[in-house]
Amino acid sequence: MHDGTGRIVVQNLTKQFGPVAAVQNLSFTVEPGSVTGFLGPNGAGKTTTLRMLLGLVTPTAGIGLINGRPFNQLGNPARVVGAVLEAQGFHPKRTARNHLRVYAAAIGVPDSRADQVLQLVGLGAAGDRKAGGYSLGMKQRLALATALLGDPQILVLDEPSNGLDPEGIAWLRTFLQSYARSGRTVLISSHLLAEIEQTVDQVVIISRGQTMYYGPLDHLRDQQQGRVLVQPSDIGALVAALREDGINGIEQLPDGRIAVTGVEAKQVADTALKAGVSIYGIQEEKVDLERLFFQLTNGQFAAPGQKMGPDPYGQPQGGYPQPGYQQPGYQQPGYQQPGYQQQPGYQTPSQPFQQPGYQQPGYQQPPQDYQQQQYQQPPQGYQPPPPGTQQPPQDNPYGQQQGQGGLGGGA
Amino acid sequence: MLGNLIKAEFRKTTTTGLWWGLMIPTVLLAFGWALGTGAIFTSVSEFMSSDEAEELALLLGVEDPTQWQMSLFGMARSINVATIFPMIFGGLAISNEINRKTITTTFLTAPTRVSAMAAKMIVYIVWGAIFGIAIVASVSIGIALTSDAGALPDPAGWLALAAVGVLASILMTMFGVGVGALMTSVVGTTVVLLLYVLIVENGIQLVLASQGLPEIIGFLPNGAVNGLTGSVASSLFLANAGVVPDDLVDGLRAIAGALGAFDWWLSGLIFLAWTALFFLGGWATTQRKDIT
Repeated sequence: MHDGTGRIVVQNLTKQFGPVAAVQNLSFTVEPGSVTGFLGPNGAGKTTTLRMLLGLVTPTAGIGLINGRPFNQLGNPARVVGAVLEAQGFHPKRTARNHLRVYAAAIGVPDSRADQVLQLVGLGAAGDRKAGGYSLGMKQRLALATALLGDPQILVLDEPSNGLDPEGIAWLRTFLQSYARSGRTVLISSHLLAEIEQTVDQVVIISRGQTMYYGPLDHLRDQQQGRVLVQPSDIGALVAALREDGINGIEQLPDGRIAVTGVEAKQVADTALKAGVSIYGIQEEKVDLERLFFQLTNGQFAAPGQKMGPDPYGQPQGGYPQPGYQQPGYQQPGYQQPGYQQQPGYQTPSQPFQQPGYQQPGYQQPPQDYQQQQYQQPPQGYQPPPPGTQQPPQDNPYGQQQGQGGLGGGA
Repeated sequence: MLGNLIKAEFRKTTTTGLWWGLMIPTVLLAFGWALGTGAIFTSVSEFMSSDEAEELALLLGVEDPTQWQMSLFGMARSINVATIFPMIFGGLAISNEINRKTITTTFLTAPTRVSAMAAKMIVYIVWGAIFGIAIVASVSIGIALTSDAGALPDPAGWLALAAVGVLASILMTMFGVGVGALMTSVVGTTVVLLLYVLIVENGIQLVLASQGLPEIIGFLPNGAVNGLTGSVASSLFLANAGVVPDDLVDGLRAIAGALGAFDWWLSGLIFLAWTALFFLGGWATTQRKDIT
């Protein structure tokens, strides 16, 4: 029948629901012995892919193989693969134990197995209650119990954390990891990386029905560096000082801080001290995989400029999320106007700032932009008002800063 | 393998209240109708054998009305009415399975969809038979209570009617399963089945009968399934009633609920065709359906 490898192979899977391409030419492999996360935003095609793999949905093209075979050639499939799917139903009037006994009979395992799996998922005491009276979390546990009935080599779980309490999520995490460690295969889908970040070893990230990343989670993590957010008294001076130290990953943030990539907070603080710049606040920001995930799956539904979070730093995506920054005034090379260089107080030549990624609005803009658009409050000290420029009313610049530590304090 | 799936399907039907929730009204309705029709036909028989009716009987050319096995008509009618419930049972069971998404797990635990559906078919055939036996038993008891001994069928006749009664029940169940699989909505299935059997087709039959086209009734689903029991009942009746004038035969068939129906086996085949149409349609749909 099947080859018993515990390997899942998805080859060029495509599913077209009428005019909607739910999944497009998706390929990946899931190896046994690890927990593989299957990630993508809502509507990315995760559920459809899993259902095609499990023979519930017929692919338009391509094939999903479990142990080298399509699902309907596995013989007694529940012995090979157990699945926890969204919207997998229970008859509300049937007790949990009876539900399990129905499928225990179908799989051909003894009825005692129903009680075993009930104990395993922590529903031992609730087995005689009707499934209709179960909470969402209990239903998830019952679904898992059903998946485990045949003691399968492969587990496929679609958003299994839905409805689970933190305790349940922690339990599930441990359970899946030990399941995988015993040489079996676990494929778990989620739309939240954070939710499964601690559980999975490998990830398949899809967006708009296509694979965006496939590989170990650690590789993904290594691709990104941390950065330091700093609020100096004089941005120009600090930037210059940092450049002198050979630090070039500098970025202006909309809230008036600057972000320095690839250094530690200590180093920035030391440089500032040497340059005689006061630091009002400093914060170290760790790489957030969630942002990375967001970047990979970016903008599936959101219109440009309306994204929900900031883009990952160092990877300019064409502007900041706020729509105001994408106004023409910002994109225009206004800073090359002659008047630009003559602004008093602008001590740093603009040249070093024009590396890709340093797209700070306002900072390089001619004063008239402030009059026209007033979309940003320039922080104090960084933008001495040129003559004739009407600055927007200055609020306390610290008011907009989040998570500021004490002066000069590291994160 | 199929044995496992059949066991699973049986457990599915016995672990919810649906089967007895429908069995109770089935038995009550069958019994009640049998009591009622038994009583009515007993009165008819008494009237026919009374002095006033004797002339009428003579006029009609009927010989000995006391020997008429009027109870056969009561049985046939009662069975027809009660088989609505196994039909609803089939329709509800399958539409619930699809609607509540338990079909997902069913397909995940079966080697192929064909095997899952085959197991279902076998289980619902058995359930149809169980309902049929319960119906025939209730009807027989009810009829026996209110009919004269002379009006009851002989054992062979009873067995024949019981057999077609069970067969009708099985076919009605499969018919319901087919409609349920096609509709997939619990409410929709129930409403459509009841509405059609109780109102729509009766209306059509009325129109057809008034237009002098009773033959067509035998081709309609309900007309055909009624013909199954009704034709057996009227044949049995006629076989024992001695000389019955041709004019009266149609009337008797109408009383048996088999107006316009063909011989029992032909009616059975016609209803089988209807059942097959819906059942196979439902099967084919479910076989290819994307379970989302």
